[in-house]
Amino acid sequence: MIPYTIDRRADSGVNNVTLGIWLFIASEVMLFGALFSSYALLRVSAPAWPHGRDVLGVWFGVGNTVVLSVMTALVLRARAVPPAVGRQFLAVGTVLAAVFLVIKGLEWRGEIAEGLVPSLNTFFAMYFTLTGLHALHVACGIVANVWVLLGASRVPDGMTSGRIRAVALYWTFVDVVWLTLFLLFYLT
Amino acid sequence: MRIISTDHKVIGLQYLLTSLVFLLLGFVFILLIRWQLAYPSQPIPLIGAFLGESNVTQGVMLPEFYTQLSAMHGTVMVFLAIVPFAVGAFGNYLVPLMIGAPDMAFPRLNALSYWLYLAGGLVMVAGFFLPGGAASSGWTSYPPLADLAQAGQTAWLVGMFLLILSSLVGSINMITTIVQLRAPGLTMMRLPFFVWAQLVTSFLLLLAFPPLQAAAVLQLMDRLAGTSFFLPSGLVVSGEALHVSGGGSPILWQHLFWFLAHPEVYVLILPALGIVAEVIANATRKPLWGYRAMVGSALFIGFMSFLVWAHHMFLTGMGPTMSAFFQVTTMIISIPSVVIISSLLLSLYGGSIRFTVPALFALAFLPMFGIGGLTGLPLGLAATDIPLHDTYYVVGHFHYIVAPGTLFALFAGIYYWFPKVTGRTMNSVLGQLHFWGSLAGMNGIFLPMLIEGLAGVNRRLYDGGRTYTYTAPVIHLYSGQWWATVLLGAVQLCFVANLVWSLARGKRVSQNPWDATTLEWTTTSPPPHENFPSTPRVHRGPYDYSPNNAAADFLPQSQP
Repeated sequence: MIPYTIDRRADSGVNNVTLGIWLFIASEVMLFGALFSSYALLRVSAPAWPHGRDVLGVWFGVGNTVVLSVMTALVLRARAVPPAVGRQFLAVGTVLAAVFLVIKGLEWRGEIAEGLVPSLNTFFAMYFTLTGLHALHVACGIVANVWVLLGASRVPDGMTSGRIRAVALYWTFVDVVWLTLFLLFYLT
Repeated sequence: MRIISTDHKVIGLQYLLTSLVFLLLGFVFILLIRWQLAYPSQPIPLIGAFLGESNVTQGVMLPEFYTQLSAMHGTVMVFLAIVPFAVGAFGNYLVPLMIGAPDMAFPRLNALSYWLYLAGGLVMVAGFFLPGGAASSGWTSYPPLADLAQAGQTAWLVGMFLLILSSLVGSINMITTIVQLRAPGLTMMRLPFFVWAQLVTSFLLLLAFPPLQAAAVLQLMDRLAGTSFFLPSGLVVSGEALHVSGGGSPILWQHLFWFLAHPEVYVLILPALGIVAEVIANATRKPLWGYRAMVGSALFIGFMSFLVWAHHMFLTGMGPTMSAFFQVTTMIISIPSVVIISSLLLSLYGGSIRFTVPALFALAFLPMFGIGGLTGLPLGLAATDIPLHDTYYVVGHFHYIVAPGTLFALFAGIYYWFPKVTGRTMNSVLGQLHFWGSLAGMNGIFLPMLIEGLAGVNRRLYDGGRTYTYTAPVIHLYSGQWWATVLLGAVQLCFVANLVWSLARGKRVSQNPWDATTLEWTTTSPPPHENFPSTPRVHRGPYDYSPNNAAADFLPQSQP
């Protein structure tokens, strides 16, 4: 096995998985940072910008905020409990993430039916692109969770808990991005 | 050997072969371009008939095809050839060996990174078979042109998306490997400079590429979902108002693109500096002069490279305040580059240089990179950049950096590490031919470009600017550049022949034929799976050449 897959290396203080996921988050910060910068630039130069609460379904957004935050709390909690319980927390969290996608899909369907499509104006272009990219992150997170759950019976417990710590960090990031989107689109 | 392997050496070789094929493809594009510039409206010899009626009519290249070739030449060379060559091939193969690790930290992600790269490259190049051909809006894909271009641009964007995923996975892997898997005793300041260069490069890939990913997503939305991220209001195309919501900003794309693409320049050059440092230390039989200063400079370059991007955008009307800021940062970033080059130059002083083929390439790198760097200074200052912008001067400048600069370093690396990969050396007569031919050919192409650019010739003209009278004094240079390109191509055939011949017939050598100090030379050639029979232990710095009171003129890092 590759050294430090499970154990921490003394001089860096982390194992490979932890360092890898932090680097990944750093790159994700640059990705969404670029997108939020684009949002700011296009918004300040726009002659008019709709109030999100007037054109979007705020309650969809509130519902999804609750679902994703509970989900993230569960996954964060999964790090601290015994591995068998942690897997159950992760499983419930995965279901909640799927619920998030269902709610988001229903919301999009309603909007598109009303003619609120990306080509309408820059607000909706940004809204669909950013929430779409975020939903893609949720979908990838679900795949990662399932992979951790399926792998749990095949790899040592130490490795599974390392993986749970990694997905917990990822979900925290995904939740923070969602809260930012909720603020930028629904509440302003 | 399995095709899908997680061994870093196999993946490194896969990267090498694939990037060499793309390098050749990018070169074929340029052969066609240089023919067109030298002999416009004359039929392309030999292959003109096979390029498709929509591209070439009666052997003569059409303007649309010319723009596709120039856009794809840049794209293929930067994203599909040089970066995977420098980082994917050299980084993957050598870094674990140089740090005494059994493999990369995440072997499966490593394989994923290669296959994403291959898929991205194929998707991009497949654009040539779409209606309207491949991407034709330049390697920079500036909107609004790119937003409105043919389907090939969508292939370019999808391909770019895959490539960025590939480099993301690869860079996470590389950084984690260097931080976590160094052998006992191999402290950071005992790392070979090559490894430092790969580390900084990986940070650039990790942090600079995502904004282009964001930009690619936005441009894909513009093209596929009808949004207007990069389309301003009131755009008129072919005499008709464009029916889009408008309100977008083409300049936004330029910011996002160059936020990647300037660090990308250092992605192209840092691994090359790493290779040259290894080869020069070995050829001079001396420790590198100023190793610590070089490491510091590489780190400083990495940091500063995020603060210079808008010097590509002096003509966008961003105003003197912004220009002043980016001019200052641009002048600052030239300092660490000069520190590294000066250190390498000073390393030669008092050395008893072994003029092997890799050493020739590495030595030629220094003045060539010097020309490339110095010709860049006028482009970093707005006052001189404005008249030079978009001329052949710019093309000459960055090709001096990337072709006889980076490519020479990569060739040096191939000749230098070939014995490690195969247990055989490459033929030095063919190697010398390759070196001198490439040196003459590249200078024959790029030096005239500087002259043409100073005469004001625009870099994007299908006929090379023959319709303008001001180009008359320099137009005759094109035919010389064509013959230099032919020479360059011919000697690359020597290189390919040398590779193939040496694989089968090259002279068998010991595991350390260059009497080198770094860890990769302490294992067999080729190294076994998991690289070392037992984990090596490191006792000294990377360049212990000609030590005092020692029997040999070098001490390997693993020697107590």
